[in-house]
Amino acid sequence: MDTLGPLAILRGLVVTTSHFFRNLMGFLRGKPTIFTVQYPEELQKVSAAFRGMPVLAQMANGKERCVACGLCEWACPVDCITIYPAETEDEIERYPAVFDIDMSRCMFCGLCEEACPEEAIVMSQRVAIATTDWRGNIWHKRDLLVPVAELQTRLTHIRRGYDRSRAASTPVSLEKS
Amino acid sequence: MAKITVDGATIEVADNSMLLPALLDHGVQIPHYCYHPKLSIDGSCRMCLVKVEGLPKLTISCNTPVRDGMVVDTIGPEVTKARQGVLELLLVNHPLDCPICDQAGECYLQDYAFEYGRRTARTQEPRRKLLKRVDVGPRVVLDQERCILCRRCVRFCKEITETRELGVFNLGDQSVVDIFPDEPLANDYSICTADICPVGALLSKDFHHKMRVWFLDETESVCPGCSNGCNVKIGAARGSVYRLLPRRNDDVNETWMCDAGRLGYRFINENRLRSPRSRRGSVLEATSWDDALHDAATQLSDLVRREGAAALAAIISPHLTNEELFTLDQLIADGLRIQQRDIAVVRSSFDDFLIKAEKAANARGARDLGLGAGSGDLDLAKIRDAIDAGTIRGLFVTGTDIWDIWGSDAERLLRRLETLVVVAPNEHPLVDLAHVVLPGMTFAEKNGSFTNVTGRVQRIHRALDPANQPSDGEVFIQLGRRLGMEITPGLFEPRKIFGEIGRQVTSYAGLTWDTLGNQGAPTREA
Repeated sequence: MDTLGPLAILRGLVVTTSHFFRNLMGFLRGKPTIFTVQYPEELQKVSAAFRGMPVLAQMANGKERCVACGLCEWACPVDCITIYPAETEDEIERYPAVFDIDMSRCMFCGLCEEACPEEAIVMSQRVAIATTDWRGNIWHKRDLLVPVAELQTRLTHIRRGYDRSRAASTPVSLEKS
Repeated sequence: MAKITVDGATIEVADNSMLLPALLDHGVQIPHYCYHPKLSIDGSCRMCLVKVEGLPKLTISCNTPVRDGMVVDTIGPEVTKARQGVLELLLVNHPLDCPICDQAGECYLQDYAFEYGRRTARTQEPRRKLLKRVDVGPRVVLDQERCILCRRCVRFCKEITETRELGVFNLGDQSVVDIFPDEPLANDYSICTADICPVGALLSKDFHHKMRVWFLDETESVCPGCSNGCNVKIGAARGSVYRLLPRRNDDVNETWMCDAGRLGYRFINENRLRSPRSRRGSVLEATSWDDALHDAATQLSDLVRREGAAALAAIISPHLTNEELFTLDQLIADGLRIQQRDIAVVRSSFDDFLIKAEKAANARGARDLGLGAGSGDLDLAKIRDAIDAGTIRGLFVTGTDIWDIWGSDAERLLRRLETLVVVAPNEHPLVDLAHVVLPGMTFAEKNGSFTNVTGRVQRIHRALDPANQPSDGEVFIQLGRRLGMEITPGLFEPRKIFGEIGRQVTSYAGLTWDTLGNQGAPTREA
């Protein structure tokens, strides 16, 4: 199409104009052909593997599943979790009196979820964590609790990862036997 | 000495010991549960099995005497298979409590299972259920399910405290550790059973569910509770001390410490004085270090100038380190220019094991450095009479033990004084009566040395570093400057000061900071 010369501009305009009207018609007819998600009324659909902010699973009786074992605190690469454990008189004798996550430090890596032996801390689909005050970055236990029923998609996903690394963790002393 | 070959390497070990302690002292890692260097040999856990050439079966190294020319294999397939077997059987009924168990991070079962154990469990049947959170004593809690029946606790109560509170009841697979009805585990060393328990079966109630051990920074120090000077490890995290554990010192406390000393750490965290105070009228107000030091120096020196040196006395705290005491001595003699001083040390019950009557770590150090009342000087009792008589009108007090010694008379006596300057770490009724208060530090925040009742000098190390707070030694030096004297060597450097002590105090001659190590060293009069 070298022969078009300066008329190549018109060719470009034909392409963009036709897309414009195609989208306009789609929008007017309620069948959008473009990918723009009308946030915040619409939310992006994410897969089960998506890692949003970490939340604490809440059991049916209102208590957290967390037993304050401290593994997530230790696993966190940016030290954003602070736990102060305490004792209860219930059958489950340990619980977190304080469970704080500094969400501004959290890098949403999911190592805490991976470390947790109780499926108590789970990566949610939420990423909206902006605050107008720097203190709003500290999420306390009451802010992090989410009923476990709402976390089933994620839990199903992470359960696929169990037992995957069995071969990799044979103790060295037994490799030959 | 005997020469033995271990995993191909020839080493020399003492020939009058069992194989296990000989190997452990040499740095060879042999897993074990029931063996403990200070308890009798049990031979029940079967974890320390090793292969000795010439013997038909594996032997337990804890009960196999060393013999010259022995060839030992600790890493071959027979040994590793045996260890794996022992662990598998222990884990059959062991509850899945790791996330809630305090022992996590320092649990022999966890560590050995990781090193030597199977990766998957082959059990099908449900685990047996026993009692959990049994209140066996005022300071110890028992979880029977976690117990691996090594019997260390039973042997401790039988051989060390000779109180026999714990026993193994029933037989075979029904065996459980428990106390006798109405006879709790309440001896003065009960928490030692939680120390020696390799798993989380016996736990200290004080530390129960308080902090994960992997967050604790452990620092070597000496217990401040009495003059025995038990070697300890301070476990601190996030600016607080969470626990004290005993350290091994065969010349002082073996591997034990008493419950009272172990639980005596809370004063490090609670009710601390953080800023100086000075009295304005009837109110004790927070003030700056500059003002407080100025006020203290002025009030003390004015009193001496007006009424003479006999009007002021110094009360010495037996909780100060040797280096601080040495500095304080110079402050009193050359700064305050007074003669009257005595050590205020509380004395109470003692036993025939570790607990000593003097309830402070460094009373002996204070005496050795000449801070006690000399002959002809007023001692504590006479100082008290002199306050009553009105001849002593001011006191420079370090520590708060004088309050307990003077008991119900303390408040009355202290109120008679014109000038009371106090250097102490915690809030205290004594502090409320002072005219100037200078915050001090606790043993956990100091580098220094203590001398125990037998004359052994031991190092303490700083576990916490409170921001912007001078150590007691620095306070004395600063006070000295305001009194117009320069306490040599100028900065408070414990290492240098200890060298000075070695030069000036004959019984401390030959001791240096570095040779004290982590086991201490005796003075010449030990």
